[in-house]
Amino acid sequence: MTRAHLTWLVGLLSVTALTAAGDIRVTPLTREGRVLVSFEMPSGFNADMKAAVHSGLPTTFTYEVELRRGLSFWFDRTITSATVTAGVQYDNLTRQHKLSLLIDGRIEASNVTNDEGVVAKSLTSFERLPLFNTTQLEPNGEYYIRVRLQTRPRVGWLFFWPWDRSSASGYAKFTFIP
Amino acid sequence: MPSILPDANRSPASVSAPALPRNRRARPAVSAGPRSKARKPLRDSPLLISLGILLLLGVLIGTLTLANRSATFFTPDFLSEFVLYALSMADLTMVVALFFVLARNLIKLLVERRRALPFAKFRSKLVAALLGMTLIPSVLVLLVGGEIIRTSVERWFNAPMDEILASANQLASDYYHERQQLAQDHARRIAGTLSALDLASVDLRRIQDLVDPEVKAQRVGLVEIYRVVPTANGRAEVVSLLEVAASTLPRDASDRASADRLAAHAVQGPADPILEPIGRGGELIRVASPIRGATGRITGVVVASDYLTGDVATRPRRMTDAYEAYMQLRVLKGPLTGVYLSFFLMLTLMILVGATWMGLYIAKRITKPIQTLAAAAREIGAGHLDHRVERETTDEFGGLVDAFNTMAGELSVSRRRLERSAIDVQRKHQEVETRRRYIETILQRIATGVISIDAHDRVGTVNGAAGRLLGLDESAVGKPATEVFGRADLEPLQKLLNGDGHLKGEPLAEEIALTQDGRELHLAAMVTTLHGEDGRPEGRVLVFDDITPLIRSQKVAAWREVARRLAHEIKNPLTPIQLSAERLKRHFGGAPDATRALVDECTSTIVGEVESLKGLVDEFSQFARMPAPRRAAVDVRELLRESLALYNGLFQQITLVSTFDPELPPVRIDPEQIRRVLINLVDNAVEAMNRKGTIWIETAHDAAHGLARIIVADDGPGIPAADRDKLFMPYYSTKRRGSGLGLAIVRRIVSEHGGTIEVADNVPHGTRFTIELPL
Repeated sequence: MTRAHLTWLVGLLSVTALTAAGDIRVTPLTREGRVLVSFEMPSGFNADMKAAVHSGLPTTFTYEVELRRGLSFWFDRTITSATVTAGVQYDNLTRQHKLSLLIDGRIEASNVTNDEGVVAKSLTSFERLPLFNTTQLEPNGEYYIRVRLQTRPRVGWLFFWPWDRSSASGYAKFTFIP
Repeated sequence: MPSILPDANRSPASVSAPALPRNRRARPAVSAGPRSKARKPLRDSPLLISLGILLLLGVLIGTLTLANRSATFFTPDFLSEFVLYALSMADLTMVVALFFVLARNLIKLLVERRRALPFAKFRSKLVAALLGMTLIPSVLVLLVGGEIIRTSVERWFNAPMDEILASANQLASDYYHERQQLAQDHARRIAGTLSALDLASVDLRRIQDLVDPEVKAQRVGLVEIYRVVPTANGRAEVVSLLEVAASTLPRDASDRASADRLAAHAVQGPADPILEPIGRGGELIRVASPIRGATGRITGVVVASDYLTGDVATRPRRMTDAYEAYMQLRVLKGPLTGVYLSFFLMLTLMILVGATWMGLYIAKRITKPIQTLAAAAREIGAGHLDHRVERETTDEFGGLVDAFNTMAGELSVSRRRLERSAIDVQRKHQEVETRRRYIETILQRIATGVISIDAHDRVGTVNGAAGRLLGLDESAVGKPATEVFGRADLEPLQKLLNGDGHLKGEPLAEEIALTQDGRELHLAAMVTTLHGEDGRPEGRVLVFDDITPLIRSQKVAAWREVARRLAHEIKNPLTPIQLSAERLKRHFGGAPDATRALVDECTSTIVGEVESLKGLVDEFSQFARMPAPRRAAVDVRELLRESLALYNGLFQQITLVSTFDPELPPVRIDPEQIRRVLINLVDNAVEAMNRKGTIWIETAHDAAHGLARIIVADDGPGIPAADRDKLFMPYYSTKRRGSGLGLAIVRRIVSEHGGTIEVADNVPHGTRFTIELPL
């Protein structure tokens, strides 16, 4: 393998690593029979994603939020899950960002903005999303919320291996006290 | 005596008999001949192979076409999101297929080499060469091609292109914003103009009069006025009041709904402009501005739309699209490079898989006919001459297969002929062998001695009688005749063989006397020269008969005749002599004393000698008129015990030691005559030992020859070898007294019983008589 190939491969690995860098901060809260999930990933809207947005490509941040319970001697059990998809498409002519928010495929909100800060926040920060009911939880039970992020488009590419299961992830434990 | 004839294995017939393969009949011939055509495996079907090659070519062409048009047909994100994954999957599948094909065939080759199968090494070399010829160029092409693709992709994105496209986009965007800003300014000015009016009650014509100058001056293409109407729930609705369009605006260009939404947004807050395409071409830049009353409350909304004609609207959009396309390519540079590399890798892998498979297939196609021929040759070599090789091709291999099958067929025919000949030879060999055994048996059994001497003057055959008579064993076979007959006792035979009779081709007969172990042996011998078909001498045959018993019988008969005549001629005058002598004695009974004494003395001497002569004549008479034995089954041991009992206490210094075989069965003999034999022999022994010594009497059973053996041995002085032959002759005696007929009578009795008597030295000294009687 030549030096050029090696440099190329290292570069590709670095891009993939940058995309996957950073963890998601997760904050669960139970209120009035609902599990409210807040999560944010400040570093998610990085230069690659900004470039992707500015290129006019439809860009989505898909968060898979899972309510799970740990088991001692087996794989942890997923009690329920929800998919939160935040999308943006930038029009270079009008300089407008069209934002959208979908939860489990349902459109929850859409917006048009010129403010990139709003775009970054709408893609990476979510406050108290009422994703789950507490009826599925046992009192005083130990649970955790796991959030995994997948971004589109995939801007990274590992040498002949395009599959990346998750760009970033994070979790937070909580005890359900009714 | 063991046979000292040549071994049957030396028979030329047995050597020349063709050796047949042992397993020829054990295993059925495996026929793979043309009639039993084996079904070809699917992978060897030419049609299937052709279809496979066509399919591969089709996929290759399709892939090339797809790669060529990918930039046109697919968007970059589609390429990176779907095509890349599909290609990666295909690449992985082909890598697995390649490894599977390679691993399978390499393992097979290794196993074949480990098991030392035929052509395994050759096939390994062939496969290695073909794989090397395929893999090395393919990998090199992949590396070089990958580098070219990567460099090409890098060259898509350069600084001038970035600047041009970014500037174009900036221009388009600025132009759009300028038009938007103008429309916004118009909307704001109209809203300011209308802010003094009460939109709920004002006459619409007045509003139109205020708006018309703006529109007619073509500052804006379309102006729509909305009035805000509060609702019961505290919210506000917008109601369209007026719409003023420029004459240049195409009819039905305006979408009322979008203007309504924009107006509603403007009531709630600052509303972003809307870029609305028109069906016939062109775009509307719509902006909204709220109309605020004197109190600052929003009483209405002005929606002003700037009309961009087709070209004016399209060109900025194209510039932006080009910029976005470029930027998208730039963003997706990595995945797109991956797509093209995957295309290239897929093509390489397809070529590799195809070439590898073809290489392995070709290696197999090359070695398989040779392997088949080699296997068939082994089958033929193992004797399966019906084995045939199926002709699969019409090329040189096919011709080779035909030639092989022809050869196998001819071999098969020759083999059958050979088998028939072998059977004939074997049958004849068996006949010859049977005849040979028959003659051998005869030779072994006959009493005539036969010795053959080959052309090289070596002893070839010594039959049993010859060996027994001449004291030869099987070691004599193969030795020079001069060495065998050079022995001192066989010298007369040597002279006979060296005689010139055989040179004349005539049999040479002679009566020869030999001395064997002190016994005189009389042979009637004849030497005959053997001649081959060409008349050349091939050896000699010495035939001889033992005529010793015959001569002995003749002598005995002569002695018997002498005895008979003596008895007759002597005994007849003895009685008158005796009577005359007694008469003279009586006549001179009255004579003077001196005369009478003389007469008495003379007559007594005459009478005594006459008596003595009578006794002698009686013995001769008895010898001459020996009665035939009256045979009965007799326990010889008991007979001997009874006979030996007569000697109990008779001789003080004689010890009789008897050893009898308990296994000896009863023997058919005349007990009186055999008792006489025993007594005669014991008496002789007693006399020979001067009535001092040990006499051994033994019996033995020779089951192998069907004989009962009686042995009388002593430890006396023994008999000189020269006297042994005369020992059994009448009137031969070593004693000072006796007629000399004792042992002659003994031999005669034994002979009358069909037996033999032999005399030999006793070890360490003495004489040993051995009597053999048939059971």
